[in-house]
Formats: sequence, structure tokens, C-alpha cells
Amino acid sequence: MIGIVVVSHSPALAEAAVALAGEMVREGGPAVRVAAGAGDDVTGTDATRVADAIRAVAGPDGVLVLMDLGSAVLSAELALELAADLDVPVRLSAAPFVEGLVAAVVRAAGGASLDEVDEEARIALAPKIAALGEPGAPDAASAPGASVPAASAGAASAGAASAGADAAGEPASSAEITLLNPSGLHARPVAELVRRLSAFDARVTATNPRTGRGPVRADSTIALLTLGAQHGDTVRFDAAGPQAAEAIDAVRLLAANGFGEGTVPDDG
Amino acid sequence: MADDTVAIDGLVAWLAGFRDRVTENRAYLTELDSAIGDADHGANMARGMAAVMDKLDGGTPATVDELFTSVGMTLVTTVGGASGPLYGTFFLRFGRAAGAVDELDAAALGGALRAGFEGVLARGKAEPGDKTMVDAMGPAIDAFDQGVGAGAAAAARAAATAAAEGRDATTALVARKGRASYLGERSAGHLDPGAMSTAYLFEALADALP
Repeated sequence: MIGIVVVSHSPALAEAAVALAGEMVREGGPAVRVAAGAGDDVTGTDATRVADAIRAVAGPDGVLVLMDLGSAVLSAELALELAADLDVPVRLSAAPFVEGLVAAVVRAAGGASLDEVDEEARIALAPKIAALGEPGAPDAASAPGASVPAASAGAASAGAASAGADAAGEPASSAEITLLNPSGLHARPVAELVRRLSAFDARVTATNPRTGRGPVRADSTIALLTLGAQHGDTVRFDAAGPQAAEAIDAVRLLAANGFGEGTVPDDG
Repeated sequence: MADDTVAIDGLVAWLAGFRDRVTENRAYLTELDSAIGDADHGANMARGMAAVMDKLDGGTPATVDELFTSVGMTLVTTVGGASGPLYGTFFLRFGRAAGAVDELDAAALGGALRAGFEGVLARGKAEPGDKTMVDAMGPAIDAFDQGVGAGAAAAARAAATAAAEGRDATTALVARKGRASYLGERSAGHLDPGAMSTAYLFEALADALP
């Protein structure tokens, strides 16, 4: 699992952002270290603190560094020089600070690579942009790497679930699942879904016909959040790969349990 | 030109002079920064250079690289703002280029200054005309190189003059880097605080090499 370093002008800001991200991962999250402030209670950044934090979380899978603004970037760049003796990949992420950190922690907890976590963090503004309906909003489904072909299209048209093989002979499975948990595919349920799916050798996508969004990758919290899926929506999940059926079963089980937050009936 | 070399005590005098200038002009630097930045440059530089000289009071390193590694790291850990990694990188690269020596002749001093400047360029990615410390430092380094045949003291004086001219020219510029760039056209008409402190740096160097 990668390590994460959070660089901020303010220790209070960084600690609160880390706590917010931590709420998305109940267990087994990545090592996260804060490097914030300079000197004695000076609002600012200190490259040696950043370098120390990088060393503290450094492992073979690498380190992703998230920064707030201004000197945080300069200090992080200098920290790379100060920690140049480390033989692990260290990446400074251009991601937005809060959204990027939340996305990175969730994705890293699922065991994603440094490249995958950085990419997830960098597209972390997509759900907010989609929710606000900004003109020209980037579609997370069309973001680089955020989309895979939906498997076995049409296989689930007649029922709630189906299984079989796609045109390439690869195992495929689908399900249409009505969301009965109160918040729909909100941040925490999505984080739980991504974490569960990371255990299976399958590529899973999700589509929300009501909002017309998807298919998007179900291993990305950010992509799933752009679906705008609410309580009562019926979301289609398609899986392909050796463990496609197991992955879809896991989605159904998780949804039946209300993604850990319980269920309320759909009034239609 | 053997009597024109700069020894460790001369370099420490340069640093002390820089500390004195940013301390005396702390309020002025902050005033410049409050117009187009976040109003912390005076406090940040005064705090950083005070920490540098406090540490040197406890013992002066024997070689130029050790001296400036200490200076650079102290600035990095105490300044907080962007000037921490920028001036920190300047002094770290200066020390590395100078090497494990106990004095610098004019050419070696010029080489170390240029290495420091290249570090600032690499770190901040500013270009001439962006209304930053680069607009004072670039002309100063060029003037030092052109004057190096006349000795370190004369070259440093020429560099100080060029830095002051570069600093003054930042008034008309529109900021393209740092917090001031958020202001766009409204940043024009104000002297850049980073260029001001850089002018102090070269003024202090000239005064330390009589």
C-alpha cells in the first residue's frame, strides 16, 4: 500500500482534512503523515518536515504527496531533493487538497498503485463539477483511465441479475440494484463499495439510467460519485473478468445491507 | 588578485549585513507585501535571518559549503513562506558550488552566486519579467560576472547596483508568479517585495567586501 503525505500551511487544516478522509476508511487505510507549519507556530511550510514525513511513510509502493498552496509546492519540491537518497517512488500530486486527499485515502486503502491513486486524486473535483452542472464539466467516465467497456451489454435487461460470458469468452456478470440505503451512492457507501470490490479480479462498471451517467469504473470513488445516484435509483453494475460473478454478488450483498448504513423502503 | 579573496569571516559579515537590512526594513518589506501578497515577507525574512545568525553565534563552520548548508537549512525550517525554499535553495546551491574551501576568489564567488541563482530559477520556475526576486537577482549575477576581472569587491558593487535597478523595474511589471499573480493587472505600480529583499542581499555583499 502506498503512503500519503499531507503538506499544509496550517497543522489544524491538515489534521482536519486527514480526519475527514479517515472517516471514509474504517480499517486498514494507508499510512498518512502531516507536514504542516514551520518554526514555532509559524503559518507556512518547512521542506525538512516534508522530507521527514516522506521518510516516515516510505515503502516499496511509493508515496503520494498532497499540498495546499503556494510555498507548500516549493517546499515539497525541495523535500524531494532532501530525500533523494530514498529508493522509493515519490509523487507530488496536482490534486485539489481536500477532495484529492479523500479520494487518495480511499483508493490507496484498496491497494491501488501510486499511478492509480494519483489519477483518482487528480479527478477528484469531478463529482462537485457534475453536481453543480457546470457547463463543459469533465465527465469522469471520459477522464483518462476512468472508463472500461461495459461487459455483456444487454445481459441484464430481463432481470435483476445475470451471469455468463462476454463476446471474448471472459466471465461476465451484471445486476440492476435499487439503492435502499438512505444516502444512495454517497461518499461513505461508495468508499465501502470500492474497498470491497478491490478484493476481486474483475473489472466492474456502474451506470445510472436516471441521471444518464455512466458506465463509470466502480473501482474509483470519484467516478462513482459522478453518477449522482440517490436513494431509490436503480443502478446497473456490469462486471467482467475471472471473478465477475463474485464481484457482482458482493455488490448485491453490500447493497442489501444498505452499504453499512441500513435500508429504508423506496416509496417509488 | 590574491588579496581580493573572501574568507569565511567576510561571508559571515555578508550574512550579518543581510540580517541587519531585513530586520531594519522588516515593516517596509511587509508593507510592500501587503499591497500585492500576504503581508508576511518582512516578518518571515527577519525571523529566518535572525535564526541563521543565532546559529552561527554558536560556532562558525570551517568551510564554505558547511556554512551555507547550515544557512540554507535554517531558512528552510524557519521562514515558512515561499521565500524559505527559494532563499534556502539559493544558499544550499551556493554552498555546494563553492565546496569544502575556506575562502573564495572573485571567480569562485561568482560561480557560487550563479549556482544559487540557477537554484532559484529551478525552484520557483519564474522567468525574467514575472515580477519576482529573479528580476533583481538575474541582473546582479550578470553584472558580477562582467565585473569579475576587477576583483570581488568591485564586482559585488556592480551587482548591487544592477540588483537595485532590477528591483526598481519591477514596479511597472504585472505579476505572473506567487500570490501577487492573483491580482493580475492590479499588481502593477507596486515594488515587488522579493526583489526588494534580493537587492538587500547584494547591497550587503558589496558592503561586506570593502
